[in-house]
Order: sequence, then structure tokens, then C-alpha cells
Amino acid sequence: MTAVLQIIFDALSLGSLYALGALGIALIFGVMRLVNFAHGDFIAFCVFAMLWPSIDATAVVFVGLLPFYLLIPLLLIIGAALSILSEIIVFRRFRNTNPATMMIASFALGFVIRHVLLMFYSSRPKSITLWPSLGLPVDFLGAHIPMLQVVTIVITLAALAVLVLFLKRTRYGLEMRAAAENFTMARMLGVRANGVILLAFAISGMLAAAIGLILATISGTADINMGANVMLIAFIATVIGGLGSVPGAVAGGFIIGAASVVFQATLPHDARVFRDAFVYGAVIVVLLVRPQGLFAPKSAKQRV
Amino acid sequence: MSKRPSVIRQTILTPIVLIVVLLLMAALTYQFGSRAFNRTAVEMFINIMVVVGLYVFVGNSGLLSFGHISFMCIGAYMTAWLAIPPVMKSITLKGLPTWLLHTQLPMWVATPISGVFAALFALVVGRVIMRLSGIAASIATFGLLGVVNNVYSNWDSVTGGQGSIVGIPPTMNVWIGWLGAAIAIVIAYLYATSRSGLALRATRDESIAASASGIDIVRERLTAFVVSAFIIGIAGALYAHFLSIVNPGAFYLRTTFITLSMLVVGGMYSLSGAVTGVVAISVLIELFRNLEKGVSLGALKVALPNGAQEIAIGIITIVILMYLPTGLTRNREFSWRGWPVLGRWSRPAPTAVKELN
Amino acid sequence: MTLLAVDDLTVSYGRLTALRGVTLRIAEGEVLFVTGPNGAGKSTLLNAIAGVVPAGSGSITMDGAKVTGAPPENIARRGFSLVPEGRNVFGALSIEENLKVGVGMRADRHKIAGDLESVYAEFPMLADRRHTPAGMLSGGQQQMLVIGRALMTAPRIMAIDEPSLGLAPKIIDQVYEILVRLRAQRKLTLLIVEQSSTRAMMTGGRMILIRGGRIVLEGAATDLIKDERLKQAYFGFGDH
Repeated sequence: MTAVLQIIFDALSLGSLYALGALGIALIFGVMRLVNFAHGDFIAFCVFAMLWPSIDATAVVFVGLLPFYLLIPLLLIIGAALSILSEIIVFRRFRNTNPATMMIASFALGFVIRHVLLMFYSSRPKSITLWPSLGLPVDFLGAHIPMLQVVTIVITLAALAVLVLFLKRTRYGLEMRAAAENFTMARMLGVRANGVILLAFAISGMLAAAIGLILATISGTADINMGANVMLIAFIATVIGGLGSVPGAVAGGFIIGAASVVFQATLPHDARVFRDAFVYGAVIVVLLVRPQGLFAPKSAKQRV
Repeated sequence: MSKRPSVIRQTILTPIVLIVVLLLMAALTYQFGSRAFNRTAVEMFINIMVVVGLYVFVGNSGLLSFGHISFMCIGAYMTAWLAIPPVMKSITLKGLPTWLLHTQLPMWVATPISGVFAALFALVVGRVIMRLSGIAASIATFGLLGVVNNVYSNWDSVTGGQGSIVGIPPTMNVWIGWLGAAIAIVIAYLYATSRSGLALRATRDESIAASASGIDIVRERLTAFVVSAFIIGIAGALYAHFLSIVNPGAFYLRTTFITLSMLVVGGMYSLSGAVTGVVAISVLIELFRNLEKGVSLGALKVALPNGAQEIAIGIITIVILMYLPTGLTRNREFSWRGWPVLGRWSRPAPTAVKELN
Repeated sequence: MTLLAVDDLTVSYGRLTALRGVTLRIAEGEVLFVTGPNGAGKSTLLNAIAGVVPAGSGSITMDGAKVTGAPPENIARRGFSLVPEGRNVFGALSIEENLKVGVGMRADRHKIAGDLESVYAEFPMLADRRHTPAGMLSGGQQQMLVIGRALMTAPRIMAIDEPSLGLAPKIIDQVYEILVRLRAQRKLTLLIVEQSSTRAMMTGGRMILIRGGRIVLEGAATDLIKDERLKQAYFGFGDH
């Protein structure tokens, strides 16, 4: 029983992390059909922003020393600012180009950000300790759940709830959903293209910062590759959920999180290192059955 | 197909021009280049193979692939398995099947086998991925890259895990590099002018009209996928012989990005573009490599920080996408008339290799 | 007073020229009925005014201010509301959400609730299903919804592209009855594009006929309908 409970908690915390990642990708895809390959590097950027630039192995925690009520908003602002800047400097010029060109442009941007980080911080993973008290376990129905896992789940669910409320209940959320479905029509109803797109980028950047914070806290390290792994899974989650569907992206994130945890728990020991390969394999099976994804919006269908 | 001979007659000059120009480069390098420059040239020829292979799929289908470097990985490791002396293999790669542990094949045998192995792998995964549409297919290829990297980095007994496996005979030189590039260009050209290549480009430009006229998109895409995997698998094999070590990190995001950049910078939809892009970016890489080492400007020695190379390539790619979205060649092909005059491009070939609507 | 002025407007798609030197005026409170055969450039005219298609040359003036080249949202904010061909509801949004997408730009916030009620009063069918996703509606209902959605922006000019497209004749009659009533009630300025000119009888007002990207006939709708030249212009006699 406690093992099952442990699995459920693992699945929830991993799934919520992937859901945050998938949301960041789905929002931008929704408003400008851009698959943002730089998202993983946004995440890494936010993690490294907590450290003082140095190529030494021991990290000098810098911004990360701030109390959480200052650190969290500051990091969210950094994430949003980076994301907005990349929209203004790079993606704005690709608005009317085809998705392939935009993908390569975002890939190139991610590559640049990655190597700027490498230049300042070197490729060695650095240890970074935020809030050590969160590592303590709490007892929940007989299972030892690390406090951090509980906090992660709560924070992620709260972030998701805020975002859903924003999308469903506010004027800007409505405009964003309308723009995601039919950008030109939304503009003909007075919705400002730049406003909606910048907002999507800002939210996506904040989500990247949130993921960065959670990852850094969980792993206790800052590693240049940590963003790329989440991003890859988040892509797959958006495809499973149906490209362009925001609730689909969230669901896709949770499904992949659950699948990963279940594979981790049930695969024979030797095969566990290939967990991700199994997850991708399962994803491909899903896509074979439903090539449009599980929750594809009607508008995603190609009209002839 | 009675049309084919005329298609070939109109376009045959493109591969000939490309191969002859590369031969000149190889000869000059061999004659005048330093040892280090020879290595740079070999690397360029291997990159030409990879990017031409990428062009076979991306250029003809119009689908972006982030997964092709996994074929390079598969080809390189296959060559490592086949070409490393059994004495060394039995220590580092204990998990290999016995028959493989006891074989050692020369380069000219191991290389085509590696290409075929990559092609077979592409045939299996392609049957699934090719069914997906545009963006989903591109993301799935990215997943493919992740899966292959995950497996090759963790299957310690067979791939040596994250570390490098050593002992592949370093038999590469600039002539073999040129030969490999020439073979890749010929295969790419033959594919582009084949029935499947023409049909696939028709689906790229007018997918609905093409499928209405009875073209099986999935099958044609799969053909291109397998052909491109074969070329890139061979490139991986030669790369293994070139470095004499393999390591999964060499076949991941950086290589994926650099090769895609080369294709985009040159012009995604043309064979000449693929080759031009590699040459242009290779020159840039070499330039920045030297700048990172430091240049003396009078008394003072100026060096760019490490990583400036990658950052510059990233920025140049973005700028080229912004201002020259069809690449340096504008997706056109070289032909005889355009080439001898420096800097003047030929008119687009009236049919075939460029576009056939 | 002239609300919208189009002067010598030319629009091209690559090598294809869709509009060649079109000039027209719409006064406040007027109805202008634009008709012409398939491919004449009618939709292009509306899309160019709305800022969705860039003008090659010429100018578009709204309320005395030049709007040529302005982005669509700015033109919408000046009071030009286009109901495009094929209706374009936001299928995943509910009916009420569809109606509210365009209110964000309005300065008169306090009137929005009242306007929503009056749209629901006009289209009771929408009121009954206000929380249903718009994608579930029939073609006729979607046409009502997009008209309602355009009204919610409190437009000064409402332009409708092919309101009858794909609808049953009975529904088309309903749509036009509503348009005529709205015009009477709200003094709405209307710019209607239709391939068939017969409905112009219902709306009255002025009518222009476009063919090959040019205005070939212009006059009062009721006179023009009876004019032999209309039929000639439609089916063409030799000239092409």
C-alpha cells in the first residue's frame, strides 16, 4: 500500500513538472505556431542565474541566497524577461514564416543561450543547495514522502490553477485562447497581436523559471542539460495532448510523468536506465493509434 | 518512366560540378595543407555526407528532422563493433555477441555494413514516424534522437556507456573523405531524380494535389528516410575511423544543430545548398577556432573566449534565416554555365533537382 | 459625412492582381452592397480594408484618418468590424466567450453588459445556449453568432462577406431580415458583399458591381437590379 502511495506521489510530482514544461511550449505554439526549442535553455538559464558566473567547480550561490519571497519573484521576472527579449529580438521577425524555419530559429537561439552559459559557467555540473529543510520526509498514511515532493506538487497544482483561472476568467486569457484558435480573426476583433504574443512569451518564461527552481531544489545541482531533458519530454507531452491544446498539454505532461514512474517501478533493474526509451516507445504507440494526439482541438485538423 | 533520361540530361551537371570542386579542394589540401588542415578537410567531407544525407530527407520531403544524427551514432558504433581488434573488444565491450566479438573487418567492409544497419534501423522506426504529420513528425524525430542517445549512453556492456570506446583503426584521409562525399552526392542526386524523389517533392510543394494524384506520401517519405539514413550511417562509420574513438555525446544536440545550420545556411531544398552550407560553415568554424586560439595583432594577442565559435554560428544561422530564408544558394542548383563566373549563380534548373510542381 | 473612403486601391497576390484602382465612399448610416462574379475581388476589397491583406497602392481613409497599412487590430479599433467569409467562429470557445472576444477594445465599458443582453434579445437562440462551444452550432446559428460578435464591438461600419454562403434559402432570409432590422434600429453602416445581387432588394441602399478587380457599375440597388447591364457585366460578353 505504501509502495503504491509512493508511486502515486512520484507520478504526481514528476507529472506536474512535465505539465509545467508542456504548458510553456503549448502556450507559445498556440499563439504563433512556434515550437520553441529554446525552452530548455530558458530553464537552464534561470537555474544558472542563481549562481555567480564562474567556471570553478564549486558554485558561488548569488541570487540563490536571497530569501524565498524575493528569490521566487526575481527568478520569475528573469525568466519572463529572457523570454520576452527573445520574442522581440528574434521570433518577431519569423511571425509569418513556416513552422520549420521557426523551429530552426528557436533551435539556434537555444544553442546560443546554451553556449553563453557554458562560456560563463563551464560545462561541469555545480552543486547548489536551496532550502535544505525541504529534504526532510513527512509521514503520509505510512509512506515517507519528502517534504519537497509535497511542496512541488502543491506549487505546481497552484500554478496550474492560477493559469487556468487566468485563461478562463480574464479578458487577456480569453483573447489568448481566441488568438490561439484563429489569430487573424482575433485581430479583426481588435485583439492586439503583439500584446497577446508577448504575454504568452512572458508566461512561458515564468513557467521555465518555475521549472528551473524546482529542478534545482530537487537535484541540488545546476547542470546545463537539465532543461533539455524536461523540454524533450514536454514536447512529447504536447504532441500526445494534441498540438495547440492547452488542457491537452497538461494532461500529456501528467500521463508521461505517470508512465515514467510506472516504468521505473516495474521494469527489471537492468532495464531501468532505458526508462526514457520505453516512455518514448509508448508515446509512439499512442501516436500510431491517435496521430492527432489524445486531445486534439477540432481546429487543428487540416482543412482542404 | 520515359521522362528520366531528359531529367538527367538537364541536371547531371550539378553533381559533376560539386564533385569536381570538392576534388579540387581535396587535392589542394593534400598538396599544401598542414596535418591539422587535413583533419579539418576530412571533417568537412564527413559533414558534407551528413548534410547531403539530411538534404535527401529534409529537402525532398519538406519535413524537418532533428533525429538524423542518431543514424550517424548507429553507424559509428556499428563500425566500432566491427573494426576494433577483438583483443580490445573483449575487455571493453563484454556484452557483444560472441560472433561479433571475434570479427574484425577492414574499413571498406565495415563502412557499408554500418550504412545498411542504419538504413534498416530507419526502415523500422520510419514506418512509425513517417505516418505523423508535419510538426508532430519533427518532434518525433527529436524523440528518436533522445531514445538513441539514451540507449547508447547507458548500455554499458555494448556501447561503453557515457565514456569513449577506443581502438578503431584511424584509416581516414582526405581522399577517402572526398570519395565518401562524392558517393553521398551521387546517391542524393540519383534519389532526387528518381520517381520516388520527384513524387516526394510534389508532396512537399502541393501535398493535397499530390495525394489526390495517387502518390503514397508515407511510402515516399519512408524511402527518402531510409536512403538518407544509409548515407548518414556511412558518414558515422567514416567519422569513427577518423577519430578512432566513439562517444555518445558526439552524436547529440551540438552535431544536430551544426548540421541543420549548414543545411539551412546553404539552402534546404537544394543539393548544391547542402554542400555550400557545409563549406561556408566549416570555413567559419575554422576561422573562429583560430580566433579562439588567439591572433597576434601587432604586440597584442587577442583571443576569443571558448564557445565564441558556437555562439557565432548560432547567431549567423538566425541572421541568415531572417534575411536569406532560402539560404546562400536561394535553393537553386549550380550548373555548368553559372559556375565558372565567380559569384554568379545559375538560373534555377528548369526541371528536376530544384522543384517540380 | 464620409465614414470610409477607398481611393485608387490596388492589391496583388504575387503576380496576380486582384484589385485595380478601386475607389469608393461610404457615408455614415449608408448601406453599400458589393456584388460581382466569383474571383472579382470582392473579398479582397474587404480584407484590404480590414488590414488583413496589404494594399499595393492607393489609400484607405476611415473617418478622415489614413489607415492604409495599419494592422487589423487598429482598424478594428477604429470601428471597422469585418465578418469574414466562412464565419470563423472560435469553435472551442463558448458562445458567450465568442461574443466577448471583441469587447476588450471598447472604451465604453459600462455599456457592454447591456449590449450583450440586447444581442441575446436579438438572437434568443444564442441566449439559450450561451455556454455551449460555438463549434457545435449549425451554419446558420454560427452566422448569427458572428453577426452578434461583430455587434458587440460596437462598430461604426459592419462589413459582411458572403453572409449567405452555404446556408439554406430560409436561413438566408432570416439573416437578411436581421440585418435590415439592425440597420433600422441602430443606424448601422453596412458593407455587404454577395455574389448574388438578388438580396440587394431587401437591403436597399447603393450597389456596386466589381468585375476583374474593377468597379464596372454603380448606382441605387433598386435601379441597378433591373438594369440589363448588370446581367451583361455578370456573364460578360466577349470582353475578358
